[in-house]
Amino acid sequence: MKFHFKRKEITGILSVLPSKEVHFEEEIHNYNFSEKQSLKLAKIMGYGTRRVVDHATSVSDLCLFGMNYLIKEKQLDKNSIDVLILVTQSPDYFLPPTSNVIGGELNLGENVLCLDINQGCAGYEVGLLQAYMFLDQPNINKVVLLNADVLSKKVSIKDRNSRPLVGDGATITILENNASAPETNLYIKMDGRGAKSLQIPAGGYKIPSSSETAILKKDKAGNERALDHLVMKGDDVFNFVQTKVPEMVNEVYTDLNISDREVDFYLFHQPNKFMLEKLADKMNVDRNKMPNNIVSKYGNGSGITVPLNICENISSKLDESNLKVILGGFGIGLTWSMVVCELKKMRFCEIINY
Amino acid sequence: MKKELLEKFAEILEEDIILESDYLNSFDEWDSLTTLSLIAMADSDYSVTLSNDTVEEFETVNDVIEYILKNAK
Repeated sequence: MKFHFKRKEITGILSVLPSKEVHFEEEIHNYNFSEKQSLKLAKIMGYGTRRVVDHATSVSDLCLFGMNYLIKEKQLDKNSIDVLILVTQSPDYFLPPTSNVIGGELNLGENVLCLDINQGCAGYEVGLLQAYMFLDQPNINKVVLLNADVLSKKVSIKDRNSRPLVGDGATITILENNASAPETNLYIKMDGRGAKSLQIPAGGYKIPSSSETAILKKDKAGNERALDHLVMKGDDVFNFVQTKVPEMVNEVYTDLNISDREVDFYLFHQPNKFMLEKLADKMNVDRNKMPNNIVSKYGNGSGITVPLNICENISSKLDESNLKVILGGFGIGLTWSMVVCELKKMRFCEIINY
Repeated sequence: MKKELLEKFAEILEEDIILESDYLNSFDEWDSLTTLSLIAMADSDYSVTLSNDTVEEFETVNDVIEYILKNAK
């Protein structure tokens, strides 16, 4: 599916990262693999440090910290907010929606629409899609898009497959109408036949958590996890990404009649460095145009990797000139998406610690 | 083509020379990471999609080489 939008732009991004940093080597003894094997894995995948929350910190805590910072710094007037969207797969509660909890804490007015969306790796693009659709409404001028996850809580300490890459954090993106903003094209595809390639099997209403679902079981490779934990079929996900993402980018080039020469940066979701290097090679894109340093430095925080990437790598470049970029998300769902847009210098674009 | 593939696979396994008759389990480096490297190499260099399940059925170097060459595009 393709979506076309006019007169909309991103006017600010704030990334909120937990202060606690864990280094890959600190957890190496938890895994059922030799140190040599694990160090080799870390080198290839680009595992280094990641940011994780403590036991007590939830998605609403990270979001509220960031929102209060913006309000205090006078970067955001809370009375100007029309819609508050939260994209997360680790909400505070099944019910109520965590966006309502955040709206309540901020004392937002009754006319502010709060909406939770359950999306993961492509959560930024899905959130942007929803935000842009709202902005097409005559009464809506400003949407706050929150992306936040604390999935480190759901990864087994004995799972070398997923544990070393998962990080936590939140991002706040402000979207507004602007008559002079260039067009945005958004592409999205889904294939639910792969829905179980990335999942947390237990804890919902299908398989409620119990003492049974907490029992660790060893897989063929030697990783141990329970049904309460996040599980990823690495080979399926790798093959999916290497097939579907290059296909989509070619469709985008054809549709918009552009080539990689007109794209300054490919700001893609970052599951690990290896996946992005292979993806850049397969797409015949210079690896320098596809930053891949987020996982090594902060971990993969699901839907936050793209906006965090903008704060980390692109913010200072926007001081000099506008940039034509393709934002890309792929993973859970399975969902894959690209947003072709121009980024310009924002009111704010920074990272703060919680 | 076969010689080149053998060299690439040897590099993944961190061996100087591998023989087609070698058993995969005989290599120190044959683990989930080498499997992923093999999947990536088959995809990027031969447009062959390998899954963990397929790789698990391979016993010897020859099984790997044959499968990739047969399905290469």
